[in-house]
Amino acid sequence: MHIPDGFLSTPVWATLDVAAAPAAALLVRRAQRDFDESKIPLLGVMGAFVFAAQMINFPVGIGTTGHLVGGALLAYTLGPAPASVVMCAILAIQALVFQDGGVLALGANVLNMAVFGVLAGYLPFYLWGGGKWRRSAIFVGGVFSVLTSAILALAELLLSGVKMPAMVLGISLALFLVSALLEGAITLTVVQALEAIQPNVIQRRTGGLPLLTGAVGAVAVLLGGVGVVFASTAPDGIWKLAAQTGIASRATTLLSTPLSNYHAAFLQGGWLPRASAGIAGIALVYVVCLVMARMAARRRSA
Amino acid sequence: MHHVVLERWSRGTSALHRRDPRAKLTALVVFLVVVATAQHMLPQLTAALFLLLAATLLYARLPLWGALARTALVLPFSLVFLLVCWMAGDPARGLALVAKSYLSALAVLIVVSTTPLHALLRGMEMAGIPRFLLMVVQFLYRYLFVISEEAQHMTNAAAARGATFRGAVARGARFHAAAGALAVLFVRSYGRAAGIHSAMLARGFLGRFQPLHEDHFGWSDALFLSLASLAPVLVRIAVERV
Repeated sequence: MHIPDGFLSTPVWATLDVAAAPAAALLVRRAQRDFDESKIPLLGVMGAFVFAAQMINFPVGIGTTGHLVGGALLAYTLGPAPASVVMCAILAIQALVFQDGGVLALGANVLNMAVFGVLAGYLPFYLWGGGKWRRSAIFVGGVFSVLTSAILALAELLLSGVKMPAMVLGISLALFLVSALLEGAITLTVVQALEAIQPNVIQRRTGGLPLLTGAVGAVAVLLGGVGVVFASTAPDGIWKLAAQTGIASRATTLLSTPLSNYHAAFLQGGWLPRASAGIAGIALVYVVCLVMARMAARRRSA
Repeated sequence: MHHVVLERWSRGTSALHRRDPRAKLTALVVFLVVVATAQHMLPQLTAALFLLLAATLLYARLPLWGALARTALVLPFSLVFLLVCWMAGDPARGLALVAKSYLSALAVLIVVSTTPLHALLRGMEMAGIPRFLLMVVQFLYRYLFVISEEAQHMTNAAAARGATFRGAVARGARFHAAAGALAVLFVRSYGRAAGIHSAMLARGFLGRFQPLHEDHFGWSDALFLSLASLAPVLVRIAVERV
């Protein structure tokens, strides 16, 4: 899912470019810390490997084949930050040399595939990759990496005003799910084959968190992804639901929040105030979660 | 392989080839923003900007039809969305997507086929993009074709040994064989990278590539930059006012 130029509306591509630049810079710095400059050829050659891996076809069904996308595999072998840098480099080459993905849309593609795709692919491995459920972590990581990238790309297109009939949306989500499951299966088989011939290239995770924590993290990623799609297709769906059930009239009187209707009182109209109100809302939720987590941790230690 | 085409085109000697990569990159971004933000009179604007790009292709002495055909690589993706927009009852948006993506890809192609990639990356480095990332890009591009050919050899070898055999049992076996081939390719690439690094150290690599000549942003580059950035803006203003 490489988004070409011209598909995204100006607020969407501009915002994503602005967001992608510091994210990529941070990941480059992280990668540089783990991986000094002497390892640059390794990252470049591994990027070339991911390109070349597209030529090796995996049989899927009747006459169709699939291939490795590679974000999760790179994260398991190189670590998440270097894997992101490699994916950024791949996206740059695809946009410049192969006319695959736009230049202004590079920020969107970098965020979808190199940042969130790789990190979502690494998350299950990070959470429970050290325990006895290691194989499931590797599989789920492959699934997550492709699913996250695809859902984000779809959401960005919908946000830009590209209308899709419900049937097309359903079919594309089903196709994404199939290709994500395929990526999980390919990643797992390749990792197993790699461990048979050179066991030390896959990162080792020792310990690992309890399964429950892992499951909560995985469900959070899934819910986040599904929520993104729903929010971008029907931004007012929650309000409609609230109106239908009659909650809205009670809720507005009960909770007259400072960010009511997602419009900060001091800013009027347009997408900029709405975006800043949204960011303020996210920050508020983050602080509340942080405080709750602190309290829970304190109670446990006491 | 088709990569050779861009390498050959980008080593031309036209006036556009000789311009500083920074000037070309800036003009490219201006053009892309002009296209991406356009909303009114799209058919006329598309035609005018297309003529502008075609004139640039001739000025750079690039093969017109070859470049137009190569840019058509974006069309499959765009045409799918044209169909989707049509089904949603918004064909105008679908046509806009096709036109905008084609024009943007053609503009990118012109810049990439008048500037060798190493010069383009050096221009980006001077524009502030981290050198670590750009060096990874450069190594990727250098070894892309080497490793791809290795993968091609492996698929040929697999086909010679009956990998095209059909059937449900064969499918499972082929899946595992493909995974094994990828694992071997991975290990070979890993080993190749170690060899490359030792070879670079043996030749006194100091952590960055030394350019053979310094880029110099001259008067002609400044003139080109102002003309090339103004042209799409003026075209759009003219089309939207008329």
